[in-house]
Amino acid sequence: MSKPRVAIFDFACCEGCQLQIVNLEEEILDLLGVVDVVEWREAMSEQSEAYDIAIIEGSITRPEDEERIKDIRSKASILIALGACASIGGVNKLKNNFDLNDVKKCVYGDAADMPHLETAMTKAVDEVVKVDFKIQGCPVEHDELTYVLRSLLIGKTPEIPDYPVCVECKAKGNICRWEYSEQCLGPITRAGCGARCPSANNRCFGCRGYVDNPNVDAAKDVFEKYGLTVEDLKSRMVLFGSKQGPTL
Amino acid sequence: MSIKKISKEELSQLVSTLIASGDRVEGVQAKDDKFAFGPLTSADDLRLDYDVTLLSPRKYVLPPVESLMTFEVGGRYQSEYDTEKLTLIGVHPYDMIALNQIDQVFSQDEVDNHYTTRRKNMTLIACDVVTPSENVFASSMGTATVSEGYDILLTDIGDAYVADAPTEKGQALLCNAADATAEDLAKRQAVQERNQSDLNRHPLNCKIEDLPQLLEKAYDHPVWEEKAASCFSCGSCNQVCPTCYCFNVQDDVSWDLKSGTRSRAWDGCLLENFANVAGDHNFRKKRNDRFRHRLYRKGKYVPEKLGIGTACVGCGRCITACVPGIANPVDIYNTLLNDIKL
Repeated sequence: MSKPRVAIFDFACCEGCQLQIVNLEEEILDLLGVVDVVEWREAMSEQSEAYDIAIIEGSITRPEDEERIKDIRSKASILIALGACASIGGVNKLKNNFDLNDVKKCVYGDAADMPHLETAMTKAVDEVVKVDFKIQGCPVEHDELTYVLRSLLIGKTPEIPDYPVCVECKAKGNICRWEYSEQCLGPITRAGCGARCPSANNRCFGCRGYVDNPNVDAAKDVFEKYGLTVEDLKSRMVLFGSKQGPTL
Repeated sequence: MSIKKISKEELSQLVSTLIASGDRVEGVQAKDDKFAFGPLTSADDLRLDYDVTLLSPRKYVLPPVESLMTFEVGGRYQSEYDTEKLTLIGVHPYDMIALNQIDQVFSQDEVDNHYTTRRKNMTLIACDVVTPSENVFASSMGTATVSEGYDILLTDIGDAYVADAPTEKGQALLCNAADATAEDLAKRQAVQERNQSDLNRHPLNCKIEDLPQLLEKAYDHPVWEEKAASCFSCGSCNQVCPTCYCFNVQDDVSWDLKSGTRSRAWDGCLLENFANVAGDHNFRKKRNDRFRHRLYRKGKYVPEKLGIGTACVGCGRCITACVPGIANPVDIYNTLLNDIKL
């Protein structure tokens, strides 16, 4: 049986999630043993129009991006959104909170009106095309990335956590960040990172998006209990949660 | 064997000897401003004056993640067992009673050899509580003191420990210790009697034997909906509970795509997909159904299955772990008692 052909594409992103693939180090040889990578701008020169699995990093922020992602979708049997930008829009969605002309001026100054700097509201990939699997995180986790790929290669649906970060955080024996009055987003954020930030004594920033059914009312209750306002909650959720719909 | 007495210095020497033997020794130590069970590298780190640990000793018999077997896809498999010897020091009575309960669970019906193998290789040194924790209610649950399951039970009587060793493993460790005097035993009794009443930050307004009957009449009470409205379904109450033992099993293949590993990880009945079964049917889809289920497991289902008093041992960890502050079992049982006639 021939190996599945994999192409890796980037849109608006920092390319850090692709770097996580490079950072697999010796494990990348295992990966290359079971797939043919036919296009991957960050790591090789070749390009291809024929692929089975498309891995997409980055969010959709320009009109021409929409055409490009639709073209990729039409050629791929399986499309995977890689990382927060592709899966939930990520930090790129911060700009959706502002007037786009102001955003352009802030970033590009006098050059803001140049035609190639045209911008649009940020979208996660699944707001434009069908996404088969999402690998969450900023950046993605090695173990989850490789588990998802191996599962797909044997024709099995990978099990992506739909429970909050608290599950992994408690299992690690961490002290709850809320006990230190830190406004941790762990209770509404999808697990799978092994509670990386709380385990390093930081609150959860919510980079993996919400669980399918987050109890935002409970979050409001908690903020009231701790003497915080809904605006405080919004200010914590804005980094990765701006205009974020339920994630899958 | 009669009950022994060892000085604090002698206990420290005993722990040092165990560590020096090279076998795995774990015990209660400070973790920031809390306490946790962890690997002991020095007897000086052991803190038997602790209030409560972040996680219960359940993590030693049922680790958060463990490998059950390796397999070849469509072919043979090989079960994996953890046979490492472990001495665990500093188990409080409520946690000891919790271990006794899950021992019973994993030893009945289909015996779980992964669990029982690990358990057989453990030496358990329990200790009576010196410092009550902020949310303990073991006195209400009849779990403030313990009479079985341990290899040694230590009771701090000020200048020394009274040490009860009902098993050969425990007696072997105490072979050089002197017998406790009548005066020592009276001091031990005073400590235990004090704990039987004082480990009670949240007093339950009924006897634990009444809980199944209370819950029998409480299935449609509004408290479940009221509390669950603030529930994140984060499973923190399950994760920190010493008597929660549910797990999920998952397979992963190696890069050769021909061999793999089956592992299990802690699960929790508060989590949204806990009761999701084939056909994508979830028989506890609503938050209040899941919220109620935990309290029924602790107060009715498990006690009736095992023939024990209660499956909540009153450690209070769920109360501390619950960010919205809705997990307190006593608070809920007492609310029901206000409205329901036994």
